[in-house]
Amino acid sequence: MSVFGKLFGKSGESDKTLVLSAPLGGRLLPLSEVPDDIFAGKVLGDGFAIEPNEGLVVAPFDCQVAQVFRTGHAIGLTGPGGLEVLVHVGIDTVKLAGVGFKPRVSEGQKLRTGDVMLEFDLEHVRANAKSTVTPIVITNRDAVGSLELLGSGTVKRGDPVLRVLRKS
Amino acid sequence: MEKTVRILNEEGLHARPAGLFVKKASEFVSTVEVRANGMAKNGKSIMALMSLGLAKDAEITITAKGADASAAVEALVDLVAKKFQL
Repeated sequence: MSVFGKLFGKSGESDKTLVLSAPLGGRLLPLSEVPDDIFAGKVLGDGFAIEPNEGLVVAPFDCQVAQVFRTGHAIGLTGPGGLEVLVHVGIDTVKLAGVGFKPRVSEGQKLRTGDVMLEFDLEHVRANAKSTVTPIVITNRDAVGSLELLGSGTVKRGDPVLRVLRKS
Repeated sequence: MEKTVRILNEEGLHARPAGLFVKKASEFVSTVEVRANGMAKNGKSIMALMSLGLAKDAEITITAKGADASAAVEALVDLVAKKFQL
């Protein structure tokens, strides 16, 4: 058992806290600055976004792959307490029809934080999609009590960026 | 109450359409289920809907159960038929 576990116990509130790390490096943005009304309006859920400076995407927490869309531009993840997280590379990237995206995971696969999930051609996306800004959202808002964005500005892949307090 | 409808928008049922579908479905108290490709998924869950992996021209059957089931099915069929344009 970890020191953390000993201090707070299994039923403690600490068990409901989860920190998502940056799945890719770049500029950390609030969802309100995503150039897409659906993401900016939180229709797909709350979270954060990163304007990437690299084309490598890693797991933002210990999770399982729920879904890799056939065009490879978005990956759905599930985690503790039924938390569901969508990592959506770029805006309107579904229209790229898979060109420039190489998913490295498959559905059902278990991942540890930092495991590689996807590689993509940043220049191709920049040249051909509406935006490279990558929203990372929790799609089942009922599972979430509160969220806190940690930090701002440029982040590196793996930096802690969002503290999530789960309801269960 | 259930109806079958074909997906007409080019990108299929991914993030944006799934979000709009769930937003609309959540306006109703009835439970909503979407069936396609032999799978049945919760129509109020974005991740569940996306996991159907539906492309353009896929047919889905929308089923609702509850006090406003009929209105829910009509509204959701209308949303899909209008290519998720609000």
